[in-house]
Amino acid sequence: MDNVYSSTEQHGKGIRARLRARFRQWVNRRIPPAREVTLDQRRIFIFPSRAGFFFGCCLLVMLIAAINFENNLSYGLTFLLATLFIVATLHTYANLSGLTLRALRAEPAFAGQQSEFHLMIERSKQRDHYALYLKWPTSSETLVSLVVDDSLKVQLHMAVDKRGWFSPGRLLLESTYPLGLLRCWTWIDLDLHALVYPRPLASAELPGLATDTPDGAAAMVAGNDDFYGFRQYRKGDSLRQVHWKGLAKGQGVLTKQYTAYADRSVWLDWNLFPGLGTEQRLSHLCYWVLEFDQRKEEYGLRVPGLVIEPSLGEKHRDLVLKALALYGVEGRHH
Amino acid sequence: MNILQQVPRNALVWIIICLFALVAPHAARLPLWVLAVYVVAVVWRMQVHRGRWSFPGRWVKVALIVSSFVGIYASYGSLVGLEPTVALLLTAFALKLIELSQRKDAYVLLFLGYFICITAFLFSQDLLITLYLLATVVLVTTALVALHRPGEHQFKRGTIRLASIMLLQAMPLMVVLFFVFPRFGPLWTVPIMSHTAKTGMSDFMKPGDVASLSQSADVAFRVKFDGEIPAKSALYWRGLVFSRLEQGVWSGLGYYDVPIQEQRPPAVNTVGDALRYTVIVEPTQQNWLYGLHFAHSNTPGVMHTSDYRLFSPAPLETEFKYSVATWQNIATDTQLSDWRRKTETKLPPGGNPRTRQLALDLRGNASNDTDYVERVLDNFHREAFVYTLRPGTLSGRDPIDQFMFQSRRGFCEHYASAFVFMMRAAGVPARVVAGYQGGEINPVNKTVIVHQFDAHAWAEVWIANKGWVRVDPTSAVSPQRIELGLEEAMAAEGSFLATEPLSPLRYRSIPLLNLLRLRYDALTYRWQSWVVGFDRDQQFDLLHSFFGEINVRSFATLLLGSWALVLLPVAISLFYKRDTFPVSPLDKHYRKFCDRMTRIGLVREPGETPGQFALRAKEAVPGCADQLWRITALYNELAYAGATSSKGSSAQMLERAVASFKPERRREPMEKTVS
Repeated sequence: MDNVYSSTEQHGKGIRARLRARFRQWVNRRIPPAREVTLDQRRIFIFPSRAGFFFGCCLLVMLIAAINFENNLSYGLTFLLATLFIVATLHTYANLSGLTLRALRAEPAFAGQQSEFHLMIERSKQRDHYALYLKWPTSSETLVSLVVDDSLKVQLHMAVDKRGWFSPGRLLLESTYPLGLLRCWTWIDLDLHALVYPRPLASAELPGLATDTPDGAAAMVAGNDDFYGFRQYRKGDSLRQVHWKGLAKGQGVLTKQYTAYADRSVWLDWNLFPGLGTEQRLSHLCYWVLEFDQRKEEYGLRVPGLVIEPSLGEKHRDLVLKALALYGVEGRHH
Repeated sequence: MNILQQVPRNALVWIIICLFALVAPHAARLPLWVLAVYVVAVVWRMQVHRGRWSFPGRWVKVALIVSSFVGIYASYGSLVGLEPTVALLLTAFALKLIELSQRKDAYVLLFLGYFICITAFLFSQDLLITLYLLATVVLVTTALVALHRPGEHQFKRGTIRLASIMLLQAMPLMVVLFFVFPRFGPLWTVPIMSHTAKTGMSDFMKPGDVASLSQSADVAFRVKFDGEIPAKSALYWRGLVFSRLEQGVWSGLGYYDVPIQEQRPPAVNTVGDALRYTVIVEPTQQNWLYGLHFAHSNTPGVMHTSDYRLFSPAPLETEFKYSVATWQNIATDTQLSDWRRKTETKLPPGGNPRTRQLALDLRGNASNDTDYVERVLDNFHREAFVYTLRPGTLSGRDPIDQFMFQSRRGFCEHYASAFVFMMRAAGVPARVVAGYQGGEINPVNKTVIVHQFDAHAWAEVWIANKGWVRVDPTSAVSPQRIELGLEEAMAAEGSFLATEPLSPLRYRSIPLLNLLRLRYDALTYRWQSWVVGFDRDQQFDLLHSFFGEINVRSFATLLLGSWALVLLPVAISLFYKRDTFPVSPLDKHYRKFCDRMTRIGLVREPGETPGQFALRAKEAVPGCADQLWRITALYNELAYAGATSSKGSSAQMLERAVASFKPERRREPMEKTVS
């Protein structure tokens, strides 16, 4: 019995999933992904809202009152409101029609944080558009009106979870203006994708030094201490860097030598974290990228199949982070 | 809270306006405390808005609801019936405002508002009331619109514009539906207006009743004759027949007072041409219908009684239209049954001895009943009787004696009453008939307007071989009343509409005002006959005259055709609007350039000058800096440098520069170019 039940349930689920997939296909055909979409009758759906159904019930009660009281003006008012409903269809549709949505950009974010999606909404005719509600399935929501401006920039935030390319799905643009009786909406795939970096994961220190560098130019040093040796004191050296303890031991005046940032670079290597899983490695690497970027120390990246020469700067950081984000990610997303 | 559920301040103000506008037409019918609830509700909600008070808690709400039920019960004595129901609805409407915090609350409130408009129509379908309620519908719709304009923190009068436009657009379709929608009978019985005052004639008559009715300038009914309007002196609108005199009060026979074999109206041999007319009677909450004797109506809902009255089994809660055929010179009841004779000659035992004696004396001198009637009327004419609206009170034990021999001042009911008393005292069957006499002829649309002050009482006497004969003793005293009407009859006394100084009828001597009044009355008649009184028969005639034969196809054609005709212009006006700006060719080129920049993710900010934009753009696409500067410079030159001879060629250069401008995408990591 139990078995039968669960199997039918599964069967039901299968049908629902298939229907959903069918529906998604249909929407994709009807409104193909594009970075810029102008809304027209192909893309706009309209149906009475919940308030609209409630209004319909009220109309029915009014009609019954008119019939029972044989009151002609009640008939008249009922019909006026019924046709108002029909006229509202056109007005509600017009509130979305002719709007252009344009994907601007999606800010990259670290997994577990919020990504910011930028888009622009623009009107093409000199008509006021009110109460345009915008939301991705899991994003923050916003309500904008195009009355004074012809175009508006909209930012929506969404939590991103997985490293790689994040697709927010179809954007819902909805409006019930002017009367709330009808809901007019569209789902648009703006072909907007956010790059999601691995979640930075601190490790106490870099477990080992990757000393053998291909060009032998620099040592890899762990921790905060950038000290690497002594040399004889020269005039002009800072007194702070004098090795006083050595002087006391009678070793002469030595100056502690620190790494000059320009001539030192660090290799962030896949093999620094032996025994860890891919995602964890990437998370640690991500953490160190940010760390070295903040310290303004040059760093390079070496992961299987990709080497990025040590360098510094915003552009370099983004490049490295992107490489981490897309490590092992199959091709282009769909 | 969900951003969609917020109620903008503008909407709140409109909702409060709606609240007061909707309660206004009901105000006179409501107990005062309900109006107080409105004020309290608005003050409370305003204070909530200012953050000083808070929304009511659950128990406060329950207490408010319970106490409003108790209050309604206390005020009306019941919770059923139309008035208590509407009062309850209106109280709930005000209370809902207090807890209005979200958009869905506002929906409930405003849809209830529409429904309250409907309830107002149940009480009056007057033209002015209708116009007023139409305005309130606009207000409610405006509040709905305001509800969907987020972020409007100021009251905006302009919101009303869209609501009015939409309702205007809905109007033509409404008219079509109104005339086409089939009219069924009621689905079930509905609560009646048990708490509304009855107006017009009542079902009993004592001296002074008709006189007090004559103080009112309200319209009782309007009549449209198919042919010529008969002379005013022939317009005796029969409504009630009083056959019973008890303790100085005349009353009609109840349904069960008449034996079963007498209940059916006797067959009347109708020969000759009938006078045909349509009557629209104002709501009275009573059952009487009026017609000229002998009247017969085919309108459903009109019944005929054995004393030849027309009446409606249901009290008239709204205007009622019926058509009548009258055969004026037809004898009714040529044979009088024993029961009828006994009933119509019955007098209370004892009392008024002098009048009885006078009756016997006059009858003794008369050769027959007709002669006797003449002698009684002659007595009224000869003696110093005065026809007056201020007859004074008759308080003695024998009021008819007092009237006949002492005061001799009376209005029609005194004369009719005394006359019938004398007839019956001499054994002649007679009864008092009440209704209206005469009417004002509206030259604008040839209707007869019968006002309350046309109320009149007269008598019917049964004469052998002739049947019931109408006798109006008032005409023996004051022939002007019958020939010219009450106003002329009371001209010397100055008592016509003395208590209604503002009635437009008092200013009939000012031609312009009078014309306006008559025109408005004609409009009211048209309104009542085509809108308020529009019924199945009219619908059938109307559709028939449009299509000839009525079938499903012509019906569907009409509906769809009219919908298309009405909605198409609306759609066109909505969708064929101008572009946002009238764009010059120059701006068009520059905008194309901006579009291209937008496509690579660089958007020109509002208010950013082309120069500033170019500076920013150069950072992003250093490779195109030259082209960028060139386009910007050309545009600036053309747009701001004023007219120069080279303008035409510069414009072409700009066009070409933009056409060849193909910027590269700027920041790789943002775009999905990894493969």
